[in-house]
Amino acid sequence: MFDLKKYRKKSPWILHYNAGSCNGCDIEILASLSPKYDLERFGVINTGNPKQSDIFLVTGPVTFRSRERLVELYTQMPEPKVVVAVGSCSCTGGVFRDMVNVEDGVDRYIPVDVYIPGCAVSPELIIDGLVQGLEILEQKGKESEKPFKLYKEPEEIRGVLSKRESALSLDAAKELNSDKN
Amino acid sequence: MSKKTVEIPLGSQHISLLEPVRFKFECENEKIIRVDSDVGFVHRGIERACTTKFKFDTISTVVARICGLCAITHSLSYTVAIEKLLEGEISMKAKYLRILLLELDRIHSHMLCLSHTCENAGFEAMFMRIMGDRELIMEMQELVTGNRVQFDFITIGGVNRDISSVKVQELRKTLTVLTQKIEGYIEEFENNWSLSLKFKGIGALSLENAYKFNAIGPLARASGLKIDVRNEIDYLPYDKVGFKMQSRSGGDIHARNTLRLDEIRNSIEICNNILDGLPEGEIITKIKGKPLGETIVRFEAPRGELMYYVKGNGSAMLDRVRIKTPTFACIPAFSDIFVGQDYADAPAILASFDPCLSCTAK
Repeated sequence: MFDLKKYRKKSPWILHYNAGSCNGCDIEILASLSPKYDLERFGVINTGNPKQSDIFLVTGPVTFRSRERLVELYTQMPEPKVVVAVGSCSCTGGVFRDMVNVEDGVDRYIPVDVYIPGCAVSPELIIDGLVQGLEILEQKGKESEKPFKLYKEPEEIRGVLSKRESALSLDAAKELNSDKN
Repeated sequence: MSKKTVEIPLGSQHISLLEPVRFKFECENEKIIRVDSDVGFVHRGIERACTTKFKFDTISTVVARICGLCAITHSLSYTVAIEKLLEGEISMKAKYLRILLLELDRIHSHMLCLSHTCENAGFEAMFMRIMGDRELIMEMQELVTGNRVQFDFITIGGVNRDISSVKVQELRKTLTVLTQKIEGYIEEFENNWSLSLKFKGIGALSLENAYKFNAIGPLARASGLKIDVRNEIDYLPYDKVGFKMQSRSGGDIHARNTLRLDEIRNSIEICNNILDGLPEGEIITKIKGKPLGETIVRFEAPRGELMYYVKGNGSAMLDRVRIKTPTFACIPAFSDIFVGQDYADAPAILASFDPCLSCTAK
């Protein structure tokens, strides 16, 4: 019988969306699919269809108009899914931070699993990030089979929220937690 | 929209697109009869940030992030504008190194466009082949500047890194390899039967329409309109490095592709000439002062004319930075070309324009 769990890890399909980046990271994603770096040895295929993809590669700092499409694409992807933020500007906003039309990073709108910094990201780092994403994908697949409670303890939710803050600075995260208590 | 026509959207997210743009094609059977385009998905407000957030000496790194493909042209245009305002003179060696990087950037951008056109025409093997050979250029850029894509190589007063004789030898060797590869592509693009089915006679822009819709860059030169900013400017010594105006007639996808190949050949020639006759001297000269007054600078980006208008008021913050990008000027011509074509050809035609939406929306 067709074993989806097995093949999901062997051949993850990626969906790529440009949420306002400068094209630098996008051409590096293309370059990492090309013969020199060859992401396809991990079974990766670049697909345009969100309903068939497992890994969501987002580049760019999320502009005002692309945020709706970003969330829409994310919700159309089937579970389990992994979001990879490619480039400094999709991690934190980068050089575009605080510009008028920019929303400072992907994680303001969708949960991010792997952050790949760099301007522009080198193909080696993209491959590294995707391989890390594969492990998370497998873990998420296992977790989705377990029985779960719909109700979540507030601490758990806060732990997810403060992940980004802890990446930026530990002190800020502590303050955030203490404010909520 | 009448009952006989069907409206088909392409974008904003699509497998054949690198960046978000939306086209609405109104089709009658297979033929496109009207096109509506929406290009503003990646607007970030860079022009405003240049006058409110950043000081004038840091802006060249910010405007480089407008577009990753022609980053060097953006930062160069801005830097030359500031140098004109501050009345600083830069050394000949820095000028030659700037041309070297500009031409390397043009080669890699054109190769990306060629490979993308092949992919959208359904020729995956050619896409892989060109992308694989494009790595040669990326390695050269990494060798000279230290980064593959966003190299902040150009600074006010010159360039950031010198080039050693070992690097020059390495570059010459790679350029020789690349020349042979390009000859192979020309053979393939001229004679391959399946590529000619998808490319020859499709998506044509006539010379009159190129005039009428104000087309620029490779799009205009493929229709026979001989405009190239490299021929007109005097801030860089293009006349000494062997620049030749390229043009083709026909204006279809095939003409655009072969024109790009011709330009790549000319760029390789320019790079070789620069490496042969690189003058001695300092790479950076100190330029002091604050910009006062206004100026206009034009450069030939890989996609056409790029224009910068910079106005300073004698302080560290600028009054206005206006950027006119090549793709924006070409959009009327794009819309004209689509009319009367098959919908199935639309992705290939779109890729052959080599549109840069992050330039357009800024």
